Parts: sequence; C-alpha cells; structure tokens
Amino acid sequence: MTDRLRNLPTMKVHPQTELTLIYAGKRLKGLASDTIATALYANGVRIFSRSLKYHRPRGLYSLDGECSNCLMDVDGIPNVRAETSLLQDNMKVEPQNVVGTPERDFMSFIDKLDRFLPAGFYYHYFHRPYRLWPFFQNRLRKAAGLGRLKPSFRMKGIFDEIYPRAEVCVIGAGPAGMQAALAAATQGLRVILLEARPWPGGFFDYRSTNDVSDIPLHQRARQLADKIEENRNIRFFPGTFMTGFYSNNLITAFQVGKETDYFDERYMEIRVESVIVATGCMERPAIFDHNDRPGIMQVACAHRLARTYGLLPGKRAIFSIGDDLGLEAAMDLFDLGLPILCVADTRSDGQAPGLVEGLEERGIPFMRGWTVSTAHGSRTLKKVTLCTLDGLENRDFKCDLLVASAGLTPSAGPLFLAQARMSYDRFTGFFLPDEMPQKVHAAGRLLGLQDPLSIEASGRLAGLSAAADCGALVKVLIKEARELLEQLPGPVRGSKFIQAPGSGRKRFVCFDEDVTVKNIYQACDLGFDHVELVKRFSTAGLGPGQGGIPGHNLPLIVAQYRRYDGDSSDPILPTTIRPPLVPAYLATYAGKSRNHPKRTPLHETMKKTPGAVFRRTGSWQRVRYFTHDFQCREEIETVRNHVGMIDVSTLGKFRVFGPDALHALQRVYVGDMSKVKEGKVKYSAMCNEDGCLMDDGVVVKTGENDYYLTSSTNRADSTAEWIRYHTRYEVWNFSLVNLTDAFGAINLAGSRSRELLQTLTDEDLSNNTFPYAGYKEFRIGGDIPVRAMRLGFLGELSYELHIPASYTRTIWDMLLEEGRPFHIQPFGLEAQNVLRLEKGHVIIGQESEIRNTLHDLGLGFLWNREKSLYKTVGAPALHFTERQNGRMKLVGFRMEDPRRPPKDGSIIVDTRIRGHVCTARYSFTLGQSIGLAHVHSDLADIGTRLEILEDDMGSKRLYAEVVPTPFYDPDGKRLKI
Amino acid sequence: MSLTISCPICGKRDGYEFRFGGEERGPRPDEEGLTHEQWCSYVHMRINKAGIQREWWYHQEGCGSWFTIERDTLTNLEVEGREET
Repeated sequence: MTDRLRNLPTMKVHPQTELTLIYAGKRLKGLASDTIATALYANGVRIFSRSLKYHRPRGLYSLDGECSNCLMDVDGIPNVRAETSLLQDNMKVEPQNVVGTPERDFMSFIDKLDRFLPAGFYYHYFHRPYRLWPFFQNRLRKAAGLGRLKPSFRMKGIFDEIYPRAEVCVIGAGPAGMQAALAAATQGLRVILLEARPWPGGFFDYRSTNDVSDIPLHQRARQLADKIEENRNIRFFPGTFMTGFYSNNLITAFQVGKETDYFDERYMEIRVESVIVATGCMERPAIFDHNDRPGIMQVACAHRLARTYGLLPGKRAIFSIGDDLGLEAAMDLFDLGLPILCVADTRSDGQAPGLVEGLEERGIPFMRGWTVSTAHGSRTLKKVTLCTLDGLENRDFKCDLLVASAGLTPSAGPLFLAQARMSYDRFTGFFLPDEMPQKVHAAGRLLGLQDPLSIEASGRLAGLSAAADCGALVKVLIKEARELLEQLPGPVRGSKFIQAPGSGRKRFVCFDEDVTVKNIYQACDLGFDHVELVKRFSTAGLGPGQGGIPGHNLPLIVAQYRRYDGDSSDPILPTTIRPPLVPAYLATYAGKSRNHPKRTPLHETMKKTPGAVFRRTGSWQRVRYFTHDFQCREEIETVRNHVGMIDVSTLGKFRVFGPDALHALQRVYVGDMSKVKEGKVKYSAMCNEDGCLMDDGVVVKTGENDYYLTSSTNRADSTAEWIRYHTRYEVWNFSLVNLTDAFGAINLAGSRSRELLQTLTDEDLSNNTFPYAGYKEFRIGGDIPVRAMRLGFLGELSYELHIPASYTRTIWDMLLEEGRPFHIQPFGLEAQNVLRLEKGHVIIGQESEIRNTLHDLGLGFLWNREKSLYKTVGAPALHFTERQNGRMKLVGFRMEDPRRPPKDGSIIVDTRIRGHVCTARYSFTLGQSIGLAHVHSDLADIGTRLEILEDDMGSKRLYAEVVPTPFYDPDGKRLKI
Repeated sequence: MSLTISCPICGKRDGYEFRFGGEERGPRPDEEGLTHEQWCSYVHMRINKAGIQREWWYHQEGCGSWFTIERDTLTNLEVEGREET
C-alpha cells in the first residue's frame, strides 16, 4: 500500500483502522472510510475494468460514480459502484467485463476494429439477410452487458423503506444546502437534508483556500455541519442518493447504510411542502484523443484523492483545465508534494489573478489558451500532447497523471425531474432554469455561482423562500437576503471549450457505451441530428452512469456539428433526464418482504393440534391438513360418519342496519332479500355488472331493519367497499359494520353434531324448533353468546357457530372435550374441499372465474327477475346472457377409471381445447373419482364423454362422463335430519 | 405515489390510502327499455378525458367512504377548490 499523506485536517480516512479487501484473489489493505475505489487506488490498482464494446482499459476518473469505469463485482453482486461504496472488512472485489485480467484482456483487439463498428453497427450488418439476425442477436447479447449474475445468486441484506414527512427537503448538503436547511429550520420548520456522500460539506469539504473571514473552507464546512447537527429541526441523511422528483413535491431517494445502521439500503419517499435543490456542479469531461486512458482523471477526483483520502494521485502530473478550481487544485496538490510539469488552461483570460500569481510563485509553467490533444500509452498513461486551441503548436510531456476537465456543468438532474423549464445560458455555459415550478428553489453552484459567500447567501435566500412557501412570515428577511446576495459576486463566466483540435477516432463522449465523437457525427450524418435521436441511435448516455459523463458534452457536440456557433440564436438542447437519477438495486425498491398473514382467533389452538399443516390462503394462514395423508381420508370419513369441526373464522361477517338496510341488500344481492325472515337464513350471491359471480354467502335478519350477513373469505376486505360503491348515488339511510374480526366461526358438521352441541346448551335444538336453514341466537357453555346457522355446504347436518372472537377458543376446546364420545376430530381445508365437491358446491375462484355468469355456474335460480326497481347489480347482464349460446358451463363428471382423478387444471380436449378441470378428487365416500369442470356448452349434456389431457401425457387420455350434481345425497336428506 | 387526495372526512392524505373508483358518469340507467348497446356502453366504455375530470375514490385505509374529487389527468394533480358541477 502506498504511503498516505499525514496530518491533513481534511482527511476522512482513519489511518489507525486497517481493513482487508480481497481483490482478484489478492489480499489488500485499505483504511476505514475508504471507498472501494480509493482503497484499490492506494494499492496501485490503475486499471479498474474494461470497456463495454472495445475492451479498452479504464481507470478511476471521477469519484462520484458518474461512469461505469469503476463498476465492480463485490461479494457476488455485479455492477457495484466502487467509487461511492464504502469499503467494508473482507470485501471480495472482482473486476468486470474482463477476459483475462484488467491488465491483459484477450478481447482488447476489438479496439482496432472500431472502423467496422460505427454507430448502430448492428442495424447495418446483421439484418441482411434478416434470417441471420437471431444468430447475431444471440452473439451480441453474450458480448454485451457488464457484470454477470450467477443463476444461483440471492440478494443478501436488509432492505427497509421509510416515508418521512417534513416541510422542507434540501437536496445536497454543501455550503448552499446547509445554509438553506439552517434558514428554514430556524423558522421552526422540519427540514430533511439529503447528501450523497457519507459526510456534509460539498466542495468546501476538501478545499484549504481561505474564505473572507480567513478560515479555510473545509473548516467553514465543519462549522456549518456542526450547526446542522445541533439543530433539532433538521434530519440529516448522509449516503443518500436522490432518485426521483414527482408532483406534489414527492422526493424519492435511497440511503446506503453504514456498518452501524440496521439496514443495508433503504428506500425513501419524502413528502414536503417545498424543495430546495443545491446539488452543485460536476465536471464536464475534456474530449481529446484517448481521453479515457487510466491515469487521466477529473480535477476534483485528483484533489479529493489527496485531501480526503491522503493519496497523491501520481508522480508526474499535467493539468489541462478550464476553470479556477483547476488552478486552485494544481497549487494545492503541488504544495502537498505532487510534481506538476505544467498547467494548460483553455481560457485565454479571466483567471483569478491570485491563482495565476500562485502558480508563478511555485514555478509551475502556466499555458493560457492551451489544452491537451492526445494521450499516449498502450495501457496506462505515459505521455500527453498539449496544443494551442488552433492546433498549430504542439508539445509533448512524459507523465503518469493527467488532470483534465473542460469546465463545470451543473448537477441539474433534480431540476429537470421537477419539470423546471431549462435552457442553455451563454454566459455560464450551463443549462439553467428559466422558470422554477411552484415551491421548488435552486441554490448554490448549480446557478453558476462560484464565490463561497455568494453560494452561502443564495442558500440562505432559498431556505427563507421555502419557509415562506410553508407560511412563515419572512418577507423582510427574504428582502435582506436578496439584497445581500445582489451585492456579492454573481455567476461566473464558464468555459465554452468543447473539444481539442484534431479529429482522432478515439475521443470518447460516453465511457459507459464506448461512444466516440465519430459515432456522434455518423449518427448526425444518417439524419439522426436531434440530440434526443443521437442519444438513442448512438446510445451515448444510455449506460449505468445515467448520462453523467456525456450529459452536457453531447448537446454541445451535436450543436457544434450542426454549425451552431456560440452566437447563433439556435438553441442548444439538453437531453431528457428521467428517474432514477442514480442506479438503484431492485431489492431496494422491493423493500422488506412483508409476509404477515392474518391469523384466526383459533390460530394458537391450531398450532398446538398435532399434525396441523398450515398453508397461506389469501391473506390468511389456515390449516390445510391435520394429517400427513394429503387425501384426508380420516378427516372426511369422520365428518360423514360421526362429527368434525373446522375453523371458518375467515368468513367475512357484516352487520347492515338502518331504515334503508333492505334497499342496500336488494341492490347488491341477486335474490329477493325481502324474503329474508327472522329465524331463517337465506343463501344468495352477488354479481358484478357483467352478471358474473363475485361472492356468495348467507343473510339473516336479526331484528327490525337489522341484518347479519357473511361473505366468502376472499371478499371479507372488499364487501363494505362494494356495498357502499353501489349505493353511492342513493341517499339511503343505513349503516354497515365489518364484524369479520369481531367474530370467530366454527362449522360443526356430521350426523352427530346436534347431540354434541346439545350437551353444551339447554336450548332446544331439535329439528322442529331449529330446522335446516334456521338461525338461532342462544348461549352455550354456560354464558357464551352464539349465533348458530344450520347450513349445508358439506352435505351433512351442520351448525355454523359465530362466537365473539375472544371466546372462540373456549368453545372449540369444549366441543373437542365433549365430542370425545362422538369421535370428534378437527378437519382442514382439503377435507372441506372434498366434502363440498361431493355436494357439487362451488368455491368462488376455484370453480368460477371473473368471466363466469351466474347462469354458467348453474346458479341462475338464485336470481330474482322481479326486482328491477332496485337496480340490482348485474341484473341487466343476467337478462341478456340468460339464453346466450356458446358459453362455458360448469358440469360435474365421473371418471371412467374410478381410482384415477385428473390433476386440477388439466384440459378437456377433442381436436382442440374444450374446457378445463376445476377440481377433481377421489371420493372415499362414493368409491369414485369425481370432479367439476368448465366445458363448452355442447359438451355440457349429461352422459357426454369427456377427454382429459394432463400435463406431459402425450397421446394418452383420461376419460370421464358428465353426470348430474350433487354426487352425494342428491336429495339433501342428510341436511335435514 | 405522488398523488394526494382530499377526503371530505379525513382531509388531504397520501394517494396510497385510496382506491380508484372510475370517472364520474352519473347513476346507472334504468332497466326499462335498456338495449344491449346502452348497457355495454355503461359498463365498459369510458370517456378517458385528457384534462380535468370528476372521479370517484374510496378511502380504503381510512374512513371507508366514497367521494368524488376533480383531478387533472395531464398533471396527475388534484384540482382543489372547484365548485361541484
């Protein structure tokens, strides 16, 4: 590991805390607070990856993850941004898109073939003849892409999500952002402050220049950061990347957790009144021949490597820059011990005088109006050629580091996403907002300000303006802040320099996609001469850097090529920016896995019952089997011969009451609900406006204008919504209460259920006083109130008991205890499924789909056609479809081979598909295999032979015959005993 | 979800709490004399307006009421303070 600089006040790494990383099989040392990229750089790694198309060597270029150069495979996760990911102990890091090693890549010969790979080459070469395209497509797909994901890969880690609320959100915790946050927070507003780097400070953080009060800027950043920390109204989120900006000022972002955090990453959705964008600037890449060689990096990258990470970026450096920050960095790095051969500045004038003097004092040659034109060196940088802007004079320098930048460009992504109207400003050379959306403000460097005081003042003004959006009375303060800002230096003239003279073939506009200036020209020549078209055809800016590198240069080059000179009134147009601004893991968007099924009041009891196998059904966790015999023979036979019970607490339960309660029921149920009599249950169904079955259940009348109804399990959550929706235009006076969770329910079924239930109550339960389809309220087990219904879903004498949820376990235990002499046994969903199948009863969603009308399912008899006055939901469709031909019908069938039921979902065929099996089982009760199926109406007649095709059956078939339902006890005698 | 909706009972809340109930088209036609075409049009056809429309929302994670708001479908923003039309 190279020695780090010592005793720098700006250092963020901790020399005392060494961490290990394993890079390409070798153990290397890094320091705490290193990023993966800086740790590798400290260990002498210069080539980080190979490029997408040409397999050119690529190295550290920015430090903010704006290109794919430093995408690496970390602990099996591909495409990790090594520049912004903090190093953790024992990380396993592998270079990507490398065939061989980063230093010797066997695919690098492609670099020489670039003449044959113009923009959109795959459209040119591989579509003639077109039948060969699939072959080439396959090859291209294999060659394309960066990281590789193993099929066995599973994302590890904790991914959380939060939805914080505040009045003001500030994006970027540089000097402007911190001032803005403080100004708003001082007005008593809650402020959320987001910062992508692990610490606040922005571009003050690594600068040692003094501000006007003679303290270094990094110390000023510390002062502001301390104030932020002390202010209880500010929530500061470091390591947080903003991804989106949506209407109603909704900001999305994700935060990368530190080792001390409970999460690895968390998704954030922040809703605020007012937003301040203070994201500052990044650098506009310098474009010249071989501008992507490892050893070439941006100004802030070199500066931060030294100041923040204590790493001198090279041994012999050349600077080719276009703004004052470049001059300042050169001086500072020189003072830290970096030998600098010369500094070339594209500007012929306009430099701050102090900086030019500073270079002179240090004896660094300063070349105005010069720039770099070519980088040399086959793998890493060995030599550069500098030239004058007219290209007439050249000079070569041997060096291993080129610090290059064409100027600054604002990180205006958030403003674009906020739909601010942006246009090219000829003075600053920036895309600046002409008009800001309501309650969105911009501050700091992205407005073209460079003076530290102006930046802070603009932050304060933005913070106060945001406070005003939230109703704070700050008119006077805003006026003062504006006046102060107006007295300070305004925006600085920016460098308009676009690219070095010459026309080499290897000038890269986009590193991610290996797009050169040549490719841009080719696209323009082919007629794709609008910047949006160039972007798509050449793919510049479509890579993982999300346009960070080409974002600003692409519009300039296109405009230049179209001969729009700097004074032309033709606009220079930006490309569209879309979320996410920064690539994010899908795992982060997916967030936590929320598997929280609902539990019935009997859940704990069920868990203790031997053999209970739970399954997730809808939102519930329910018992499917009580044995490991998945045919449930014992459970079924217990119900048929003795008595069994099942937990049916998941049924939806509702009370509808009030003077117009009956109207509401008439509206949603297809039956005539005025026929519901006290002490009786009425079975009915609800349809949608297509006449298709939505729900079935029973209704009982518990008093004057007072009804109790059940819905199927899946509809429990939506029945209240449904009834209210279909009565929304009426001024009916009724109330609806969802009692689903207030009541537990047990279905006690079997010929001996009356005897058993009678042992728990003095109420007369004889068939005369409590007949089939009866309803009764009484007390059992001492004093527990119960609502009992005699229903026939399973084809036996049975009582559905609705019990206050807190008593349900007590009753279950009592029934189990008292039922011993009757051979009672609990049964699960599978047994219930077979029992009701034997009765031919429909389970919605199993024997019905959303396209099956009541008639298709043979339930048309439930519909009362005489109540059009009530505008019953679905009634017109039931009229229209009553005699419609060619519909699918639900039929019962019996297998010719009694031991062989087909699998659920098998298809029914003749020469084509004619239907499908809904449910089929072997019935122990009947000694036959039976089932229910949907078939075309011409196959629905009794006696029709059905051909059934299961998966992987080949030419074999199973055969069945359509028979009438119910299969078991067709006259329903057993229900009525 | 960036949409916010003003519930007449609970006030302005996050769009996640609501369920969409379709555009406002008035109550269902009477059954007498109803043709297939009229019914099909009522059940399946939508205006799909580009602009401000009145529409139904259900406060599922709140008070459980149905109500209408006006929303600009071009900006996906609720238009507040307009008279009920």
